[in-house]
Amino acid sequence: MLSTLNSRLSTSFAGAKRWLIAGILLAALASYLSGGINPYDRGVWIDCGINIILAVSLNLILGHTGQFSLGHAGFMSVGGYTAAKLTLVCAALVPAALHPLLFAAALLAGGLMAACAGLLVGIPSLRLRGDYLAIVTLGFGEIIRVVMQNTEAVGGASGLSGIPKLTTLGWAFALAAVTIYAIAGLVNSTYGRGFLAVSDDEVAASAMGVNPVRYKVTAFVVGAFFAGIAGALYAHHKQTLVPTGFDWLKSVDIVVMVILGGMGRTPGVIVAAIILTWLPEHLRVFAEYRMIIYALLIILLMILRPQGLFTLRFKKKGKEAKTLP
Amino acid sequence: MSDETPLLKLDRATIRFGGLTAVSELDLEIGRHEMVGLIGPNGAGKTTAFNLITGVYQPTSGSIEFAGRPTAGLKPHHLAKLGVARTFQNIRLFASLSVFDNVRVATQLHREHGILHSLWRGKGFRESEAAVESEVMDLLSIFKLEGLRDEQAVSLPYGAQRRLEIVRALATRPKLLLLDEPAAGMNPTEKEELMHLIRFIQERFSISVLLVEHDMTVVMGVCQRIAVLEYGKKIAEGTPEQIKCDPKVIEAYLGEEEVES
Repeated sequence: MLSTLNSRLSTSFAGAKRWLIAGILLAALASYLSGGINPYDRGVWIDCGINIILAVSLNLILGHTGQFSLGHAGFMSVGGYTAAKLTLVCAALVPAALHPLLFAAALLAGGLMAACAGLLVGIPSLRLRGDYLAIVTLGFGEIIRVVMQNTEAVGGASGLSGIPKLTTLGWAFALAAVTIYAIAGLVNSTYGRGFLAVSDDEVAASAMGVNPVRYKVTAFVVGAFFAGIAGALYAHHKQTLVPTGFDWLKSVDIVVMVILGGMGRTPGVIVAAIILTWLPEHLRVFAEYRMIIYALLIILLMILRPQGLFTLRFKKKGKEAKTLP
Repeated sequence: MSDETPLLKLDRATIRFGGLTAVSELDLEIGRHEMVGLIGPNGAGKTTAFNLITGVYQPTSGSIEFAGRPTAGLKPHHLAKLGVARTFQNIRLFASLSVFDNVRVATQLHREHGILHSLWRGKGFRESEAAVESEVMDLLSIFKLEGLRDEQAVSLPYGAQRRLEIVRALATRPKLLLLDEPAAGMNPTEKEELMHLIRFIQERFSISVLLVEHDMTVVMGVCQRIAVLEYGKKIAEGTPEQIKCDPKVIEAYLGEEEVES
């Protein structure tokens, strides 16, 4: 039952826009009601929204298109710094009533700058694959960090502070809804099936008229765009940006969300993003062991559930296949 | 372009990998609606010739023309758009995709809708997706695969996977279909069915077919003309009857086959 439901959904993705609108309304409502919850919890929920955007957008690159990227924190920082700088400069010039508009513009600018960075990184992916691409994207993330660290205009090593607090629960979840809609919508179309084809078999995809280079670069640009937006939300949530906050371990965090949720399975990735945002908050005592725990988690996952923790679709298929003679 | 222009023309096409000349000065023409076989012992360069025609490799020297247009510098996806489709010796379906999606991917090269269409999902997008769906389902039902549309492609039985690969190639609306050892691993009954299928495809879709095959019954049974490769060189070309009697071919190929069986 579930498998037929899923495949129906994957071929038609019907009523997608209604879901998007429902998601945005829900986010607005949550934002309205969130005044009651304590600021700490609200803050973590905003983190959840931001991490959902990061994980779902990385899922396009890593899960759907199969390009191993360790540069997502780099794209995020490009977006964050761009947006923060913009609001810092313009906040005094714009009346307070127009700040939400300014914020929207800053989010867009952050996304666009990150998309440009995505284009730059996408180009080496014309030639590289697998581990080599991972190393190049890793290097890119570090280069961005070092550049930020040495650029006085964005605060150098001490970073940017005093960024206006403009990110609300509503913004975070509404944009998470937009991201989910955009990525799922893209992949669930005849055009978007090309991403999966490239991931499965580049040679065969190419022989069927799918241009692998174009798809890979597109995945990087779109993924980076949303990572940039997440970075902009992050900047206006934490109110300070330091270059060390975007080191490669941050990229690994996002990769873990995608792998744990199941590569290319959007619902699983969303659940994983929420769990992996809340879990460290509750396990602060073990904070130093976080990376060890992540490593163990991934090894266990690869052995026990290589399809990801929260996916049901292929489990069912597998059972059916086994009952065949 | 007149009808006399061959659909595909290889002119002294050569490819060397280091010191090895895999295909040497190959001349080959395929006319419209023609069914041509390419045979030869293992390692004769048949699949390499395929890879030259489909743009996977570029010839070291010589030229290839498709429908009167030189294909130098064109990538496989360009050639697919021009009308060259292929299957693979070792089946290469998209493993994580369903049967339906495997074919659907191959329809996208004739559709204009891209990212923005997929994001906006307006009326044009829905109509286009509906057209794709009916096109794919039509193709699947011709090959009796419509009942398996939501199955994962790699979970199909071997014969059905071979058929699906052909369907996927046909979904690109080719003018020339290249089949790389479609009978590999098939039993005599399946081979018989395959021969019917190939003849049927050529008539129904009025396309040219280039068939690489080890199995003599299949090649002799369906091809109007056969070219024989040995060590990258073409040693003979002609009708099945001529090829059967050609002493060079018997020496290179059929002779060995008879000793084996």
